[in-house]
Amino acid sequence: MQVVFKIVRQNQDSSPRVESYTLDVESSNTILDCLNQIKWEQDGTLAFRKNCRNTICGSCSMRINGRSTLACKENVGSEVARFSTTEIPEITIAPMGNMPVIKDLVVDMQSFWANLKAVDPYVSTAARQIPEREFLQTPEERSKLDQTGNCIMCGACYSECNAREVNPGFVGPHALAKAYRMVADSRDDQTEARLDHYNQGTDGVWGCTRCYLCNSVCPMEVAPMDQIGKIKSEILARTDGQTSRSIRHRKVLIDLVKQGGWIDERQFGLQVVGNSLKDLKGLMSLVPLGLRMLGHGKLPAKFEPSEGAKQVRSLIESVQKFKAESNHSQS
Amino acid sequence: MRSSTLKYAYFPGCVAQGACRELDQSTKALTKILGIELVELKKASCCGSGTFKEDSQLLEDTVNARNIALAEQLNLPLLTHCSTCQGVIGHVDERLKDAQINDRAYLDQVNGFLKKEGCSPYQGSTDVKHLLWALVADYGLEAIADRVTRKLSNLNCAAFYGCYLLRGQDHIRYDDPFKPESMENVFRTVGATPIYYRGRTQCCGWPLSSYATDQSFKMAGAHIQEAIAAGADCIVTPCPLCHLNLDSRQPEVEKVIGQKLGLPVLHLPQLVALALGVSPSELGLDRHIVSTRSVLEKLGF
Repeated sequence: MQVVFKIVRQNQDSSPRVESYTLDVESSNTILDCLNQIKWEQDGTLAFRKNCRNTICGSCSMRINGRSTLACKENVGSEVARFSTTEIPEITIAPMGNMPVIKDLVVDMQSFWANLKAVDPYVSTAARQIPEREFLQTPEERSKLDQTGNCIMCGACYSECNAREVNPGFVGPHALAKAYRMVADSRDDQTEARLDHYNQGTDGVWGCTRCYLCNSVCPMEVAPMDQIGKIKSEILARTDGQTSRSIRHRKVLIDLVKQGGWIDERQFGLQVVGNSLKDLKGLMSLVPLGLRMLGHGKLPAKFEPSEGAKQVRSLIESVQKFKAESNHSQS
Repeated sequence: MRSSTLKYAYFPGCVAQGACRELDQSTKALTKILGIELVELKKASCCGSGTFKEDSQLLEDTVNARNIALAEQLNLPLLTHCSTCQGVIGHVDERLKDAQINDRAYLDQVNGFLKKEGCSPYQGSTDVKHLLWALVADYGLEAIADRVTRKLSNLNCAAFYGCYLLRGQDHIRYDDPFKPESMENVFRTVGATPIYYRGRTQCCGWPLSSYATDQSFKMAGAHIQEAIAAGADCIVTPCPLCHLNLDSRQPEVEKVIGQKLGLPVLHLPQLVALALGVSPSELGLDRHIVSTRSVLEKLGF
């Protein structure tokens, strides 16, 4: 079949342009096969990364039809069926996002690797100082590392991460998925220090805006956002609402649901941002918002709890009690 | 014209009973004029907006199993009108339906909590559906088109889907999460013109807005700017949390990005109901932070 490839091309420090290449390809050809065909038969100047051709090395990630994925994993047939609406099918290819372009589809991944390093992505060395024998893990302990261990560091999640676009300090989904792998590893003895580290400001887990894009594009089903959630859960089990506003946000939300079934948003603002009148600066920051909402009739005069509030409260309490007991028996 | 009456168990959610009561009002007005019957789940509770899960998966599943079971008791599908409620409750429904086959012990654990508190157990016998999908898939766009009395001609609408609606569930049956068209198809149905821009499938920044305001508002600002540049007269969203960050916080967003925006943000049912002849005041269009006047003027109100 005839397919037009529209490829975003760019040299460093110049503006991007779109170049079109028409190919005669099989629907089973991978996008990487097609890029090779362009490079070998039409235009040797096209730059892209590639290596294993088999979804193992993670080299060929790029934006295909608008989302980051591996060129060796996607094929022409499914791309056209899913995304093309033109008579002669078109496939658009662009470099990954959140990283500067070096040339065409090759991006500079320096920040990606630096951010990985920032989470200390190795099992702690102190635990390795027993040279006589291997580090044994039960199959159950090892199975906790399976999902995050599948990461091939392709950069697809980092490329789409909405939090990275606005927060240069955020280490990114790939790094935090690796961080969870360390937290979950029975051989690592730095768990508490790690949790403290990943809890700082918005560089770690609280920088995530829960946009789900990392989960959505990951070619290896690592589900970075879920792993970030698991780290949060470990942190939340060890802290109270005074630790930080991001933690208070979580604690207050559950407390308010326990009180009213639904969330009383006025209370949510006062308790999270104003820290129940303890944070004056926070409270002052709410004043313009409060007045604005009041002026436009958006601030409810009263809060009506759910008719099931009492039942919901005891339900949440019994789950919380069960979790606390099972955490206790594990430690 | 539809022959049978559609009926849903209506899950209002927190925001539509709080800062976005105009959403509750317009969902009720829209379903009324379409002849869709809603039974409000008065005993339901907050879905947790993704935060229960950060405490524990068990908490998110148990609280929402109860919500779903309330709809099951009525033998009705559960209707949401919030992308976040949909993504959370819809995903719990997927997970528990899967557990019925693959992890009975977990489902028994969840139902054990429900029974202990006197709630009906989760049965996996219903469906969790966003209003957008109820319109597109159940009521049908042609049937809506038949009822349009005021075509929203020349109105350029930029959709803002909300992350949880597109990506919160493992499978959504009505859209491709990377290339959704449901909102745009609704726009065409009511005579408006869809505006395509990258931001329509991205995050509004709401989850960060309580503690990382600059980051959150930068995110919202970039999308609003992009929509304006693409020619939008308004943003239309099926998610009240997106509405909070894009409309209620727009004055702060403007400050963070250092640019005036003034782009009205409509709730999905407001837009559709306008085309069906419901008056702007009945839809609470006077209760937005960014004035909706420019939209109404363009439509000849």
